[in-house]
Amino acid sequence: MSSKQKGANQRLRQRTVWLLIILLAFGFGAVISRLAYLQLIAGEDLQQKAVQQQLSDTTISAKRGTIYDRNGKILAQSASVWQVVLSPANFKTDEQREFVATRLSEILKLDKEDVLEKTKQDSYYTVVKRKIESEEQKQILELMNEVEDKYELSSVIALLDDYKRYYPYSELAASVIGFTGSDDQGLSGVEYQYDEYLTGTPGRLVTATNANGTIMPFDYSQNVDAVDGNSVVLTIDETIQSIIEKHMKQAIEDYSVYNRGVCVAMDVKNGEILGMATIGGYDPNDPFTISREEKKKIDEIDDEYLVKNGYIKENENPTPKEKEEILATAKSEAESAALTKMWRNKAISDTYYPGSVFKMITLSMALEEATINHDTRFVCSGAFQLYDKSIGCHYSAGHGSQTYEQALCNSCNPAFIEIGQSVGEEKFWQYYQSFGFSEKTGIDLPGESDDLFFTEDGSMGPVDLAVASFGQNFSITPIQMVTAASAIANGGHLVQPHVVKQILGIDGSVVQNISTDTKRQVISTAVAKEMCSILEHNAIDGTGKNGYVAGYRIAGKTGTSEKLNDSNGDGVQDYIASYCGFAPADDPQIAMLVFFDTPLSGNYYGSAVAAPVFANIMSEVLPYLELDAQYTEAEAVNVDTTAGTYTGLSVTEASSLVNEGGFNVTVKGEGTTVVAQVPSAGSKIPKGGTVVLYTDETSVTEKVTVPNLIGFGVSDVNYIASQYGLNVSLAGMVSSSDCTSISQDIAEGTTVSPGSVITVTFSSSGVND
Amino acid sequence: MSQYTVDRNRRYTSDRHSSTGASSHKSRSSSAQHKGTPRKKKFSILSIGKGLDVPFCMLIVLLLAIGITMMFSASYPVAFYEIGDSYYYLKRQLLFAVVGIAIMLAVSYFDYHHFHRFSALILGVSYFALIVVLLIPSETGVKRWIGIGDYGIQASEISKFAIILFLAHWGSRYYDKMHTLKYGVLPGAGVFVSTAILLLLEPHYSCIVIVALLTVIMLFVSGIRLRYLAIAGVILAGAILMLWATGLLTYAMDRMDGWGKALEYIDETQWQQTWQTRNSLYAIGSGGLFGLGLGQSRQKYLYLPEPQNDFVFAIVCEELGLIGAVAVLLVFALLVWRGVVISLRAKDRFGKLLGIGLISQIGLQVILNILVITDWLPNTGISLPFFSYGGSSLLMLLFQMGIILSISRSANIEKI
Repeated sequence: MSSKQKGANQRLRQRTVWLLIILLAFGFGAVISRLAYLQLIAGEDLQQKAVQQQLSDTTISAKRGTIYDRNGKILAQSASVWQVVLSPANFKTDEQREFVATRLSEILKLDKEDVLEKTKQDSYYTVVKRKIESEEQKQILELMNEVEDKYELSSVIALLDDYKRYYPYSELAASVIGFTGSDDQGLSGVEYQYDEYLTGTPGRLVTATNANGTIMPFDYSQNVDAVDGNSVVLTIDETIQSIIEKHMKQAIEDYSVYNRGVCVAMDVKNGEILGMATIGGYDPNDPFTISREEKKKIDEIDDEYLVKNGYIKENENPTPKEKEEILATAKSEAESAALTKMWRNKAISDTYYPGSVFKMITLSMALEEATINHDTRFVCSGAFQLYDKSIGCHYSAGHGSQTYEQALCNSCNPAFIEIGQSVGEEKFWQYYQSFGFSEKTGIDLPGESDDLFFTEDGSMGPVDLAVASFGQNFSITPIQMVTAASAIANGGHLVQPHVVKQILGIDGSVVQNISTDTKRQVISTAVAKEMCSILEHNAIDGTGKNGYVAGYRIAGKTGTSEKLNDSNGDGVQDYIASYCGFAPADDPQIAMLVFFDTPLSGNYYGSAVAAPVFANIMSEVLPYLELDAQYTEAEAVNVDTTAGTYTGLSVTEASSLVNEGGFNVTVKGEGTTVVAQVPSAGSKIPKGGTVVLYTDETSVTEKVTVPNLIGFGVSDVNYIASQYGLNVSLAGMVSSSDCTSISQDIAEGTTVSPGSVITVTFSSSGVND
Repeated sequence: MSQYTVDRNRRYTSDRHSSTGASSHKSRSSSAQHKGTPRKKKFSILSIGKGLDVPFCMLIVLLLAIGITMMFSASYPVAFYEIGDSYYYLKRQLLFAVVGIAIMLAVSYFDYHHFHRFSALILGVSYFALIVVLLIPSETGVKRWIGIGDYGIQASEISKFAIILFLAHWGSRYYDKMHTLKYGVLPGAGVFVSTAILLLLEPHYSCIVIVALLTVIMLFVSGIRLRYLAIAGVILAGAILMLWATGLLTYAMDRMDGWGKALEYIDETQWQQTWQTRNSLYAIGSGGLFGLGLGQSRQKYLYLPEPQNDFVFAIVCEELGLIGAVAVLLVFALLVWRGVVISLRAKDRFGKLLGIGLISQIGLQVILNILVITDWLPNTGISLPFFSYGGSSLLMLLFQMGIILSISRSANIEKI
């Protein structure tokens, strides 16, 4: 063996050892350290990422809670609908995409290109359409079967649960209830305020899926059930709300009210809002559609509008294309403004000058502070001279010498300037604060406004105090006014107004009762009692008498406030006509404020516009609240009675029954048995009214034409109606000698059956406040 | 084939005998006793195990068992979803394993010295295969396979073997001239460069890396001067530096399927290209220290594409954790170590070089494969021996293991 060979072999051996060291120590060492890093240090992060892609996390929508009125009537409810979802990554060919896109766009009435775009996404989840109803859902199910049969694709289209919000009463109490957005989130009203309770907790269905989205054979799924939302019981009474809205809508039309009307009814003892309406509102089922009138106004936007609203400067001359853009901007801005206005709850979001209604507060302050007494006389000459300023009274002839009670019943401004002066700026501000005008009431609704006083610290000049005494030149919200009025009604306690009574769990158990704490005692019970009787007196024969309801002890005060601006552009200053009162005066239960912003029908006084509406609403609400009517003798004559059932009886039997009920009988036809009657059984007929009994079918077709019944006194109306064989139900201010009929519910010239009941509303003329 | 005579291999006797010098005094004396006498190996079933290196055999069987089990675990969801038969890959791999073991045992009987003579021929065959493969049309544009459908072989598998064989042949034939540039460096460099050019055309970059490393290993153990390796290293470093300086390196790295950036989102193309590597990292990371348990991988559910092939070890890491992965690597390390021991015991220089080359290839593939699945090397297709699915490569692997066994057998028999 040569030394060369030996050397070569030795080198081979050495080098092989080196090779082994390099391979095993460095190579395997590097590999193991890399693995250790990935598995131990980066492991958690990588695992998380892996799990993220492996888990398919499906949200299970929670059912939104129901909104009930105080009697359990459903005002808002979520119903099961579906959403259509695609897993476009599971498509195999463009032909499949085309087919599915075409069919889906047909069924769901969507743009085909948009759907086709979605089918081309590289994802396993894309929503095609939400909130589809059972009709469409059935068609989608058929399509799913078809796709499976045709292409053997089972995981392309899916239907997931979804919910849709329904408001069975449509517009009713919309400004209180609010509405929800496309993701079921509350956007306004109670829906917004109580969103966290109503929403519930969405559930999750977490499953491990393979890259194709089908479930892996692992016990890897985690199911978190959705917790449905709590339900909310409102203090609102659907019946009262309906009565309010019926009369308010009618009044808005009758008085051509330009800026909507508000009515708030509140339980004076605990601050529960029984009814709260802002007319014209909207339909929460379709909250993004503006009213036809508003739409028309927007469509009619022209050059003049653009110049007037600063879109185009006076001497500017835009090109047609520019102008088109400006027009589009103006229209979209006008539309969103219209929407905002429509959704706005005027009862809490808008402020107004309370006007003479505020006199009840001013007088309460003076009585509580005892700055005036029964002997104090207030002389009105028709105007009040304050330094160089003359402040007029609505009765320019002057009310002469009055007590404070007379001053309130006369709604005399000069007298109240004196009363205000007797209280003084400091005390006035103090009471203003304690009556809750300087702070938000804290009602459980979104968007409550602050008041606007002369200065923030309450300091005011003598003129400020003078006009503030009769409610001018400072702004408060309607809800603040009705809360303050409730304090007078309930013996001096300022209550917390609220619209939600209870929050219910899924099983209907009470989760939370909304507290009805009293905030503070504002005036003494004695002063409150005196105020009640003064206000009752006012409603009987003072300026507030148009708010009187026969049989009930109403207390109330009118108000006509100057808005000091001209919103409708008719060149005349705008007014707000309002009436605030409560009943029964001896034990007040319900306080109510009615106000109309800018009535344009000529008469804008609270006494003429708001008071009759107040009376009409109260005349239905008070009996509904099961408060017993106590009629005066004069009133008892006009009280309506219910017609009985006379059909099926013999003519003689029926006639005697009708007479027993206090009605007159007219028999038409030749038969011996009554086959029909007018008015129908259960309808209200005034005492002494006529019931027409038909004894054969032919006679039923007989009709009479309704005459004009407006502009007469009570007896004249009754006489005219009886001549036509019609019955009259009297409404409004009828006990006063100077009342005149102002409206009839069935218009002149309408043909009706003899015996039909026509409701005629009366109003007392001669009061201008 | 069972007959082996000194006469027939006269040309190489001096070389063979020289190898005994380095092993031990005992073997040297025994070798001297047997010198010149014909060695007869009669084939019988009972003598199958005769002379085989038992630890090496056991390591191979162990790796095959673990490998096939893990390949099955990794592949059954894919097989189920894509083929409809969960056992598709298992059945085939088992079949090839059985055939492969038969081939391995057969080859262990075959006197490896025959390869000495045919090394140049086999190298020629490998060139031929590399050229043929370029002429076969391919759908993907990557030309690596010879054969029809499932039954093909990668031309580069032949190349790797051919180069090891040729350099073992050359290193033993001219053992005394290996320190020279002409005999030591140039032939090896020539073979490598020509093979690399052909592989570049396929293209099959990872194989170029393996071939380069194998060439370096073979030349290194054959005894070339280290300065040549140093020069080659300097040239390589210079080239990389130049590429880096001109910005071409960054460009190339960006082009390399987002290599090293599998977890970062750069753009949609990169995100799609690194899908496999990223999901491999997710799988490895999910395993943690102890793994999710055998069969419990989640990433194999279509997230990690082709988990039965190059990325099977990612599933091993996910299911068996770092502990399992290190255990598997330990078995590989033992195999390499044992292979080297066997090689060094070979009587002749050719056997030593051939065994070291073949066992180094295993070690290299393991290292490079894991560096690929952990995103330290670009994803270019390096399979994991004994684990990755693939009939021809398994057969080739076991064939090569057979040669190492043949080396062990010849050394052991001669020892007696």
